[in-house]
Formats: sequence, structure tokens, C-alpha cells
Amino acid sequence: MRRISGDAWSTGPVVAFVLAFALVPVAILFATAVREAGGWNAIGSILSSPLNAASINNSLVQGALSAVLAVALGYPAGIFFGRYSWPGRTVLRSLLIVPFLLPSLVVVLGILDLFGPGGLLLSSTPGLSFFGTGLPAIVAANLVFNIPIVILFTATGCESASVELEETVATLGGTPARAYREVWAGPTWVGAAVGGLLTFLFSALSFAPPLVLCGPRCYTVEARIWSLDQVFLDPTSAGVLALGLVLLFLLPTIAYLWLLSRLRTIPGRRPPARPRVSARDPVAVGLAAETAAVALGVGAVLASVIYRALQPTGGGGAGGAYGALFSSATTARLGISAFGMIGNSLFFATVAAMIAVLLGIPAGYAIARRPSRAGGLGLLLFLPLLLSPVVLAFSLANFWRPLLGGESTIWFLVIVSQSILAIPFALQSIEIPLAGLSPSVREAAETLGATPWGAFLDADLPRVREGLTTAGLFAFAIGLGEFTATYFLVTPQYTTLPVALYRLADARQFAVADADAGLLLLLSLAVFLALVLGGRRVDL
Amino acid sequence: MSTYSPFLEVDRLSAAWDGLPVLRAVSFSIDPGEFVVLLGPNGSGKTTLLRCLAGLEKPTSGTIRLGGEDVTSLPTHRRGIGLMFQDPALFPHRTVYENIAYAPLLQRRTRSEVETEVDGLVSLLHLEGFEDRRPDQLSGGERQRVALARTLAARPRLVLLDEPFASIDVELKAELHAEFRQALRTRGTAAIHVTHDREEGLFLGDRVGLLFDGSLEVVGSPADVFEHPRSARAARFLGYNVLDGPSGPVAVRAEDLEIGGSIGGGPSAVVAAVGTLGRETLVILRTELGERLELRTVDPPDGFRPGAPVTVRWQRSVPLPREEASGASPGR
Repeated sequence: MRRISGDAWSTGPVVAFVLAFALVPVAILFATAVREAGGWNAIGSILSSPLNAASINNSLVQGALSAVLAVALGYPAGIFFGRYSWPGRTVLRSLLIVPFLLPSLVVVLGILDLFGPGGLLLSSTPGLSFFGTGLPAIVAANLVFNIPIVILFTATGCESASVELEETVATLGGTPARAYREVWAGPTWVGAAVGGLLTFLFSALSFAPPLVLCGPRCYTVEARIWSLDQVFLDPTSAGVLALGLVLLFLLPTIAYLWLLSRLRTIPGRRPPARPRVSARDPVAVGLAAETAAVALGVGAVLASVIYRALQPTGGGGAGGAYGALFSSATTARLGISAFGMIGNSLFFATVAAMIAVLLGIPAGYAIARRPSRAGGLGLLLFLPLLLSPVVLAFSLANFWRPLLGGESTIWFLVIVSQSILAIPFALQSIEIPLAGLSPSVREAAETLGATPWGAFLDADLPRVREGLTTAGLFAFAIGLGEFTATYFLVTPQYTTLPVALYRLADARQFAVADADAGLLLLLSLAVFLALVLGGRRVDL
Repeated sequence: MSTYSPFLEVDRLSAAWDGLPVLRAVSFSIDPGEFVVLLGPNGSGKTTLLRCLAGLEKPTSGTIRLGGEDVTSLPTHRRGIGLMFQDPALFPHRTVYENIAYAPLLQRRTRSEVETEVDGLVSLLHLEGFEDRRPDQLSGGERQRVALARTLAARPRLVLLDEPFASIDVELKAELHAEFRQALRTRGTAAIHVTHDREEGLFLGDRVGLLFDGSLEVVGSPADVFEHPRSARAARFLGYNVLDGPSGPVAVRAEDLEIGGSIGGGPSAVVAAVGTLGRETLVILRTELGERLELRTVDPPDGFRPGAPVTVRWQRSVPLPREEASGASPGR
């Protein structure tokens, strides 16, 4: 009998999980949609129908515009983070991950709080209402999420550039500009391109910003799929459009993964010594000013949510919005109490994080043992993100809900969808420290009689405990902030904080929505604090 | 009357990291074409000194004059000082030829000048046939040759070598030593080489300096520096045993230390380890005060076993200043 290899045991569980809960249901969804649409000829007409074509166009425009602006604004700040040493740099670098961990709705609400009707900035600068609605508002929301991502990747590229090579260029007579072109430009622009591509994908597939900030005329493909299935009850067209979405974004996704593999720094490499910021260095001062401006903009959007949540509202005094959030009226409106929503959010995110980490450990180990498989496995695990949360939830609901027996198992599907969306990021947090491990301790354990699995448990796992904690916290934060798939799946009893936030915003209960968003911000900050206080660093 | 003016003059150069002194008023000078080696243990400030000379670190005080010009505040790319690291730091995306041609092209020399320069250095450093290879297709020694060729192609006024042979195996190292010296001599380029390897330093240098804890203790000919250690720490670094003699502390070479009697007034000791070095036998002793002594002999007495009590004596020694020896820790 042929034995199953150790590598198959390592990658098998995660591959099986993704196949069972993402790729197979999605493939069946696509096949069903194509068949019911009446074959391939009919697909063309569905994709080219005015509203569907407009949604594709919206996705491309919003994605491209957001990506270009995010790179333009994030690149200088990324250089400032990666190139220079300055007080508070480490904490702020970790803080950059916070907007990414937040549900998109929190940012959307922040945009409305600042620039929307009655926005905080409009009394002093009425012209800023330009950013309160339509495409400018959507792009502004996308930028708040994605500029920090571009900064992070650019800084990572910067940190992988060789300081020795830069100094060599100087000793050979090259000017600082020449050293930049020769040494820094390559890795930093690869980093910026990775951030830009991710911005393009996230923005083109965004869901909440067009839904809340603009309406149907700005719908992305993602929002249009949701609308076709949930509003117009046309799952066939939704399935066909989902297939078009996958084909449309396959190339940028592959490009993103390829560039990401180029960007990864050598595991265990010592971070280069960074020059301190000097007031006499005009480049450093310029970069610092640009970074401060970007931080101020992003910070203002998030701070406005907290500010609005704490403002006196209606009959309540300061913090009255929180009273309203926990009131029986809100419970009646949403069909669940605030405590119930918090409980659901924590439960789903915790279990999803545990699944992501448990599946990520053997997969990360397999990649660390044979890095050549990182690309293929990475693409496989990243595919669900490309499919987008709406398509994922759509296919899960179609395939698994009938098999599992209806609404009582929705909680299971929510956890599964959150796990699948968290796995690629959790895997990365596990894989990098595993790849940096010297094999000598494991080999010593094996020469002392440990089985390969025992040696892994005794020698390797304890040494990557920090990475596992980071992966767990990261996956937990992703689950906590997940809105799109969860919104697609849940019934009122399983409502989470982000879903409630959308329902409250949709009902124009902005003050209560701000209180909900404030809770989510606090929970995300708690995760961030746990990451930073433990001296951990999260990389996307 | 003509006034002597050295090619490089370093005057009271000091540097600090986060307020902690790394270099303490280092002063020395070198002549055109001279090859000076600075020897010192790890952490003694060697690399910081080179980085200050190259302009990669800012000294807290002191001046650097090169060819009569004060270059202390000049940016690195205008100093005309080449620096070679332990890591050759070749451009990974360029061929050997392109790496060497890098600086001449930066200097906007004509095409034929660049070709002549590169061809000459390829020949000087025995790199024929490697011109189209990329750095990842070269061995460690070949990479270091390319790095030196690239440095020399910039026609620097001074070359700084920061332990460039540290990761090269022993046999190749001797060959590279000779090639590097020859290449620098042929070009008439002055060089400062830093290393913690005393044999390498004494072998290579026209003059040798000893750097301890950021202070330059002495600069002189290799023979003078080795034969006349100025302090107990210098003696220990140069491989001497430091002992208390009848008239004060003395430095005794390992091959001048003998077992038996008390002729030299030496202390009692215990054999800690015995091993053969081929022609010689190396004996490690530990004195009553815990000091480590080394003895090399071609004719070891019988009964040399770890744990055996012995007394030591010596015929030749170098006197050391008393205050240095009393304050110094035992050599280990």
C-alpha cells in the first residue's frame, strides 16, 4: 500500500478545508450559474448588461484611482518608516495595521462624520463636502484603509535594501540620489507595487463604501452581486457575474502574489542600522511632514467616530449613544441585544482564529521545509479572497446550507467563512518565523530518537510560539472586523457588531452606529495593544 | 625649509554611540602608498574608525586631513576614499565587468578609458574569464577580488579594508593577502586594513597599530610592535603570557616558557590541557591566581597530564609597565 507522505499530512488539512468550504462550492455555483444562464453565449449578454457592465467599470475606476492615490501618498511615508530612525517609530509602525483590521464600515462612518451631512469639518470648510458622498467619498474611505498598507509594504521593501550596498555606492563616488536609484528604488517600488495591487484588489472588490456612501450608481461588482442575489433574487446572474469577477481579477492577484514573494525579506536577517532624522536633512524633514499629514488624515477619520459616539445625543448626555446602543429599542430594531452582538462577534472570531492557526501550523511547516511550494499554496489559499467575501458567502449558502440543514447551522458557516478569509494572513505570520528556524535543534531531537512529528512539537513549535500568537490575534482581528460574508449569511440572532453597524447606518441611526463603531475600534485597539505590548510585529 | 606633510593625518578623532565613547582621541598618519594595519579585538572600535574615515559616521570631535585637505565634513561620495567590507556587497544584478565599471562610468570617463581601466584590473586581480558572470556565480575569494577591483576602479586616494578576509578559508586567505598587497602596490594606493587576526596583521602591514577600547596604543613596524608590547593587554593580544617577574610584570612568549625549577621566579601552576599541534606540543596551564598560560615545546617532558602540578620558568622576557599589569585581568 502506498503511504501518504509527511508533506501531504502537512498541507492536506488546509487544502481540504479550502477545497471543501470555498473552491468546490464556488465551482459548483459557477457551473450551475453557467448552465442555468443557458450556456456560454448567454454569459456575454449578462456581463454586458448596462448595470453589470457599469459595476465592472466602477470596480476598475475605484480600484485604479484608490491604488494610484494610495501609492502617491503612502510611498514617501513608507520610505520615512523604512529608512529612518525616529522616536515612536516602532509603535507607529505597528499602529499602521489597525485600519486594516477595522471593518470597512467604521471608516465609512468616519468619512460621513467628517464630510457627510452635518460633518465635523463642514462648518469651517464647506468645500470639503465634496468628500462626503459619491466617488470622492468612496476613494477617501479606500485610502484610509489602504495608505497604511502601502506604507507597510514600502517600509518592508526599504528594510530589505542592503545598507552595505548603499554605503558602497557612496564610497565609489555615487551621490545619495544615485544610491537611491541603485539600492533603494528597486525594493521600495516593489513594496509600493505590492501595496498598490492590494489596494486595487481591496478597492475594486469593496462592498460597504459604495453601498453606504453612494448607492447603486457606484456599485462595484461585489455590491452588484449582492444586489442581484439578495435584492433582485437573481442568483443565476449573480453567479455569472461572480465568475466574471474571478476572471477579471485573476491576473492582478497573481501579480500581487508574485511581487509579494519577491518582497519577502530574508528570514532572520538583521534589520539595517537606520540613520536618525536630522533637522538639517531636508529630505528627511519633507518625508516627516508628509508622513505627519497622512497620519493626521487617517487619524482624524478614526477619531471622528469616537468623538461622535461620545457626543451628547437626543435625550442622553455625553455617551448617550452607548446608552441607546444597549437599549431595548435597539434590541427590538436589530432583533438582538448589544451584549448578544458582542458575544457573537467574540465567539465567531475566536473559533475562526483557532481554526486558521491550527490549519496554518502544518501548512506553514510544509512551506518552510520546501519554500518552492509557497507560490502554489499561497495562490490556492488566496483564491477565496479573490473570490471575494460575497462570492464565498453566496456559494457557502448555496452548497452547504441545504446539506447542513438550514438556518440552525448558519453560525458554522460564518465561522468557516471567517476562517477562510483569515487563513492566508495567519499562515504568513506562522510561515515567516518557521522559515527562519535553524534546523539544527530539530535534527538534534531526531538524532536523539524523536519522530519527525515529535521533533516538530518539541523543537520547532516552542520556538515559533510568538508567531503563533501573532497569527491567532491577527486572525481574530480579521474575523472580528469581517462584515461582507457575515452580512450575507447571518439571520438576526447571529448578528455581529459590524453587521449591526451597517443596519444602524442604513437606518440613519448614525449616533448609535458610531457607538457600535467605537466598540469595534476599542476591540481592534485591544488586539493591537496585545500585539505591540508582546513585542510582536505583524506583516501583511 | 620644507615641512613634512603626511598623506593622511588623523588628529584626535573621537566618536560615540548613544553617548558611549567608541573612539577616544585617535591620532595617526600614513604616507602615500603605505599599507597600515590596525589590529584589535572585537569591539575595539576598528570598524567605527574606518566608517568615520569614509564619512559613513560623524566623529564627535577631531579632524581628518587627506592630501593636505580637511575632509572631516565632506560627504562620503566626495572624499575619494574606497571602503571594502567583510561582505563584498557586489551589485547582485550586475556582471563582474559591470560591477568594476560602475565607478568609472559614474565619473563619466570615456568608453575607452573605462575599458582600459576594467581590463587592467581584471588582469591585475586574475579575473579573466569571469567578466560576464554575476556575483552569485562566484566563489567567496572571487567575490572579494571583484570587490577590490571595483574599489580600485574608482581610483580612490585611500582604500579602507574592513576585515575583507574574515570569511575566506585559510589556504585561500594567504593567496589573497599577496594578491591584494600586490594590486595596491602596483596602483600606488595607500590602504588601511583592520583585522582582529594578529598573524594576518603582522604579515600584511608596512606598519601596524594596536587599537584597544577605542584608543590607539601604538603604531610601528610589525617587528617593533610585536617585540616590544607596551602594555599587558597588548602583550596578551599578541600571544604573550603575562607573568610577575622578580622586578615586575613581564611578557613571555609561549615558546620561551619552560617547566620545572624556579629559575625565573615563576609561579606554580597546574596543567589544564595538553595537545599536539603537529611539530609542537601545546600545554595550557592555570596558575594559582587563575591566570591562563600557554607553553609550546617540541620536546615535552614525560608525565605531562592534566592536573599535574608544575612550576614555570623562562629565560627571555619583555618588561611591562607595572601599573598596566596590576590592573589587567588574566589573559584567557
